[in-house]
Amino acid sequence: MGKLDDVLELIKEGVRTSKEIAERLDLTVEEVDGIIKILESLGYVEKVEMSSSCQSCPLKKICPGSCIVFKGSLYELKKSDKKGT
Amino acid sequence: MVSCCSVEKVPEEKKESLKVIALAGNPNVGKTTIFNALTGLRQHVGNWPGVTVEKKEGIMKYREKEFLVVDLPGTYSLTANSIDELIARNFILSGNADVVVDIVDASCLMRNLFLTMEIFEMGVKKVVIALNKIDIARKRGVRFDVKKMEKILGVPVIPTNAKEGAGVEELKRVIANMAEGKITTNPVIPVYEEPIEREIEHISSLLRGTPLEEMYNIRWLAIKLLTRDQEVIKLVLNYLGPGKMDEILKHISELEVHYKRSLDIVIANQKYEFIDKLMHQFVIHFGEVKETFSDQIDRVLTHPAYGILGLLGVFYVLFKFVFTIGTPMQEFLDNTFASFGEFVAGFIGNEAVRGLIVEGVIGGVGSVLSFFPLVFLLFIAMSVLEDSGYMARAAVVMERIMRKFGLPGKSFIPMVLAFGCNVPAIMATRTLEDERDRILTMLINPLVPCSARMVVITFLAGAFFSDHKALMAVSIYAISLFLALLSALILGKFVIKGEESPFVIELPEYSLPSWKVAVVHSWERSKEFLRKAGTIILLGSVAIWYLSNYPEPIGSGLSYAEKLGKVFEPFTMLMGLDWKAAVSLIFGIIAKENVIATYGIIYGIGESEEALISLMQSAMTGLQAFVLALVTTLYIPCIATIGAIRAEGGNKWALVASAYNLMLASAVGVLVYNIGLLLGF
Repeated sequence: MGKLDDVLELIKEGVRTSKEIAERLDLTVEEVDGIIKILESLGYVEKVEMSSSCQSCPLKKICPGSCIVFKGSLYELKKSDKKGT
Repeated sequence: MVSCCSVEKVPEEKKESLKVIALAGNPNVGKTTIFNALTGLRQHVGNWPGVTVEKKEGIMKYREKEFLVVDLPGTYSLTANSIDELIARNFILSGNADVVVDIVDASCLMRNLFLTMEIFEMGVKKVVIALNKIDIARKRGVRFDVKKMEKILGVPVIPTNAKEGAGVEELKRVIANMAEGKITTNPVIPVYEEPIEREIEHISSLLRGTPLEEMYNIRWLAIKLLTRDQEVIKLVLNYLGPGKMDEILKHISELEVHYKRSLDIVIANQKYEFIDKLMHQFVIHFGEVKETFSDQIDRVLTHPAYGILGLLGVFYVLFKFVFTIGTPMQEFLDNTFASFGEFVAGFIGNEAVRGLIVEGVIGGVGSVLSFFPLVFLLFIAMSVLEDSGYMARAAVVMERIMRKFGLPGKSFIPMVLAFGCNVPAIMATRTLEDERDRILTMLINPLVPCSARMVVITFLAGAFFSDHKALMAVSIYAISLFLALLSALILGKFVIKGEESPFVIELPEYSLPSWKVAVVHSWERSKEFLRKAGTIILLGSVAIWYLSNYPEPIGSGLSYAEKLGKVFEPFTMLMGLDWKAAVSLIFGIIAKENVIATYGIIYGIGESEEALISLMQSAMTGLQAFVLALVTTLYIPCIATIGAIRAEGGNKWALVASAYNLMLASAVGVLVYNIGLLLGF
């Protein structure tokens, strides 16, 4: 098991922020964020675009101010047999 | 696509005569800044062939010589999982680049060197590392021995601060010299554990002697085969044939059994550890990890218990801000509409037309439009929360609660979106792969109060709870959210069972929000509220006015609205609501704001909101107003939301959602009203 595995395991266990993962693994938040990006490029996690549903919404023109979003990036664990998740 | 600073495209014949410099690196490492610093204004922006990924090219001049600089898409590795990675990888593999400049963020060295190792593994020799953002790394206390770094990595390393232009001339000099073959390099190659190395050697032996050896680095091909890179598998299959490929795949499967997981993560882990060891040789000091201001605040705001209190507190302050500043503006607007109605009434002789214009249009639309300041201020407050970074924390706190109630983790995204509008929120349930998760989220989503229902809540809070407006609003939100979670728990346990869908959030640092951004953003959102008032609510108001005045005026007991309301009154009276509330709730299904517009019309329009409030106060108690606000928030979703559920889940679930919400609202309404009566409210 390496650091990438450790981060992946904690995400699977339900640790929800890179800050919490960093604390658990005694790493810096920057390093955990970096590992998540490597995991993304390897296809283990996938960035979730929050605002995409608003952009494609047919009611966008008449909607009373939709799309409450937040800063920060959200990565979802990909479901794939190959990745063994 | 042409950038602001582009000049004409570099002619193809000129391109062919120039040495090519490729800029590679992670996203946000300052690649564009370096590209601009190298090329100045001599650049052209187009697309990579066949895809809509931006391709930037420019001319770098150094001592009268010109070089073609190509900016590759920013990537974290060179796998074949994204189009950006494929473009960067194929460009480097094709040998088109005479020199690859790998731009590395000195403040996040580990993940940046991961890409560097991938470039080295491809067998590229002419690589220069631009160690950018060196100033930020130094500020964090990170110290490098650059000479040692060059020696260990085997390529030149040039510290740069591209924003200030520091190191750019030296970088140009090294690039020019390397392109002309005056600098030799010996890039370090990651070494893996023995079983992996043995298999790399085995595959390499099969590839040796084939034409692939002439075109690619054999070790790189072997590593990519081990990671089951589909592009490489297809390529090698053409040259080795299915027999040998099957043998390779069999070996890979055996290794995967040995490591109990895919080899791509095994190799990535070992590469990462290799980099870690390298770094300890040339990083003199890694800097100190200090607890930042954001960390300290997060200890409270993302805490499992304090975080919930913080969330409630933040939303209480938000409503306090909205009401304190917005109410006087709302009253002013309301009086303006009333005066305008009186003014217009003087010019219209025909009673029916006067009634339609003054009572139906101005009264109905005006009663909703007067809430514009409150809606605008709410959006400003939301923008400030988003911009400050708090919303991401709120999402973490909410998600933690949702998980306890059995909601699939990712469904908190639609739940957050629903505070704005339930329609995009329902559409966002598409991101949930599991159908049961999607249906569950779709069913409970309408229970989250959207901004349209906020108008009704603020109106009733202002009319009946003048001293505790914010508290009343927060309690309606809290009850609705609690019921959404309770519904999730019950439906998830007995009706639609789902699995956990893990994810992780990168929390941004807290930052001071920009008021300019907040105002512009809120105006964009509020514009849609105005547009809705001019369309759906206008039509609704005219319809309500007609039904209230024909065949006989309201109060006669013969108007269509009264008749309709009286049908439902025996049922709504169980929660203390008379026929007027019943009619308002029916029209509220078109758009929730119509609940207020309907009350405005029923109570004699053209009057000011002050008069409307006074009339309502004489006809309703605070308890009934609270119940009306709660029922409006919980009952059948608006038509647009039902349409969205139908589009996403089909007729069955649209019907189930409507029926469930109606039953829940009725049960809660009856319960709250009767408990309230028992408590003496």
